[in-house]
Amino acid sequence: MELAIRNLSCGYGKRRVVDSISLSINAGEVIGLLGANGCGKTTLIKTILGLLPFLGGEVLLEGKNIQYWTSAQIARVVGYIPQMHTPPFPFQVLDVVLMGRTAHIKPFASPSLKDVKIAEQALEMLDITYLRDRIYTEISGGERQLVLIARALTQEPKILIMDEPTASLDFGNQIKVLSHVKQLAGLNIAVLMSCHFPEHAFLYTNRVVLLNEGRILHSGTPDETITPERLKKLYGVDVDIITVKNRMNQELQVCVPSRSLAAEDKYYQSMERRNQYALA
Amino acid sequence: MEINNLHKSAGVIENRGAGWKIIILLFTLIFIFIFSFALGRYPVPPGQLLQVLASQIITMEPTWNVTVETVIFQVRLPRILAAILVGAALSTAGAAYQGMFKNPLVSPDILGASAGAGFGAALGIYFSFSMVGIQLMAFVGGLLAVGLTYGISIRIRHDPMLALVLSGVMIGSLFTAAISCIKYIADPYDKLPAITFWLMGSLASITSRDVYMVLIPIILGGLLLYLLRWRLNVLAMGEEEAQVLGINTRAMKTIVIICCTLMTAASVSISGLIGWVGLVIPHLARMIVGPNYQVLLPASILLGGAYLLLVDDLARLIASMEIPLGILTALIGVPFFLYLLLNSKWGWK
Repeated sequence: MELAIRNLSCGYGKRRVVDSISLSINAGEVIGLLGANGCGKTTLIKTILGLLPFLGGEVLLEGKNIQYWTSAQIARVVGYIPQMHTPPFPFQVLDVVLMGRTAHIKPFASPSLKDVKIAEQALEMLDITYLRDRIYTEISGGERQLVLIARALTQEPKILIMDEPTASLDFGNQIKVLSHVKQLAGLNIAVLMSCHFPEHAFLYTNRVVLLNEGRILHSGTPDETITPERLKKLYGVDVDIITVKNRMNQELQVCVPSRSLAAEDKYYQSMERRNQYALA
Repeated sequence: MEINNLHKSAGVIENRGAGWKIIILLFTLIFIFIFSFALGRYPVPPGQLLQVLASQIITMEPTWNVTVETVIFQVRLPRILAAILVGAALSTAGAAYQGMFKNPLVSPDILGASAGAGFGAALGIYFSFSMVGIQLMAFVGGLLAVGLTYGISIRIRHDPMLALVLSGVMIGSLFTAAISCIKYIADPYDKLPAITFWLMGSLASITSRDVYMVLIPIILGGLLLYLLRWRLNVLAMGEEEAQVLGINTRAMKTIVIICCTLMTAASVSISGLIGWVGLVIPHLARMIVGPNYQVLLPASILLGGAYLLLVDDLARLIASMEIPLGILTALIGVPFFLYLLLNSKWGWK
């Protein structure tokens, strides 16, 4: 067991956003956190990362309570990939990746050649060595996200936490970024990822946790956990889950709205045409 | 081990082509430094200047007037050193603050250091303190203002960086109002002009004692910032991200504020208010060597020193009377800054 969360409550000041949650994540596992905006996904993640104080319960990393760990201690075990963002200064990609080494180097020291090697290995692993000398603010959003994953890898973490890593990425970049997530689990890293599409949970996670108004609604494998009824409860919309086959004959689950406005438009259009014929 | 690491990381920087830029900046500063000795009302021919400078290192039969030595070492040397020190300190503090606040429009007086120092000095002049007394008052005033800003900001329970900037602006205005108050009640024939001239900034009456006085706080602050140069990079990514990457952001922020305040308050205490250096020079440095503090800090130090020295040379030479430094830094700095904005790649996004 790598990360165990026991009866954890978190929130801002006295306001509890997440109430007494328990879950555990093992090495090599990808866990998807699903829930509507404001259900407490980000609050939970920030608390695990030590950015927010605990309001109750505990977080155990390999059996040790991290509540009073320093940020450097946490950073040596937990890597974090934030949502896409643009920093105000045009750092070189290699420098951004090297920042992941900060927790491993002494306060007054700068990264050594060994750290540069580790950073280069991380770039290589994500197939983005060509970005090494580019300017971080000038590359595409998808590339930037891969750079942030590389940065998290240089922390040599046992746990990776991603907060909607594909938010505000285009369709192609979403798939490109997420396809690396399974690769990370292959490195024996436990991955906790909040997703904003249930489909992503089907595709890229081993287990999902449904978070509803600060409590766990259900958790388990994606196939048995994500159902139209629970999605209705989570997001307040009617959704059908359909199994389809891609061109490689692999089965995939997709979520589609139960009501298609496009189809209804077509229906109304044909009705209108029929009325026009009737009038003529 | 440590030295070995430093050497290796220095190698990393050189591979990326910034090393030679730093060396060029260093030679530019050295050139302006030597050149500045020859400038001024009392002419010193270049050949004689080199002889006099060389005589400090090797024994030489003096072929020059004793006055030349006095002018060079008693009058010009302290002033030249002060210009370099103040320029370097202000631009280093500006560079550090711009990263910490993730905002390229921030200058070293953002937390009220200059306004506080101005208040201290005005009070000192009002009570007819000695020169040293006025300088001490200015230094303490700067520390006090930033201390107040910091103390208030940590009691605000919102975005901590915004809280810091807001309290800084408030405290700054408060001390500016207090300065006006002292000016209003000061003797208009004697004290008022003194206060006004002090606030305009000048290095005209610098002595070597002044230089010694500010040497310690400026070098202390600058050295600490330089040691933390890698962490300044990480802090520029934003407070939350820096913490997640393993930095104790609260301690780091406090250290940066202490360093910048020591440097700014010490500078202002001997030079008066000199604007624009701390805002413009870090930009220029970033355009030349990029945003990485490993090279940005040395570049800011060298450029800041060279720039203020050059401006001070102009202040000495342009007119028959001294022109206040604060006026010149704005007159030169603003058009230059606008030119950079209009004609080159921005150093930030």
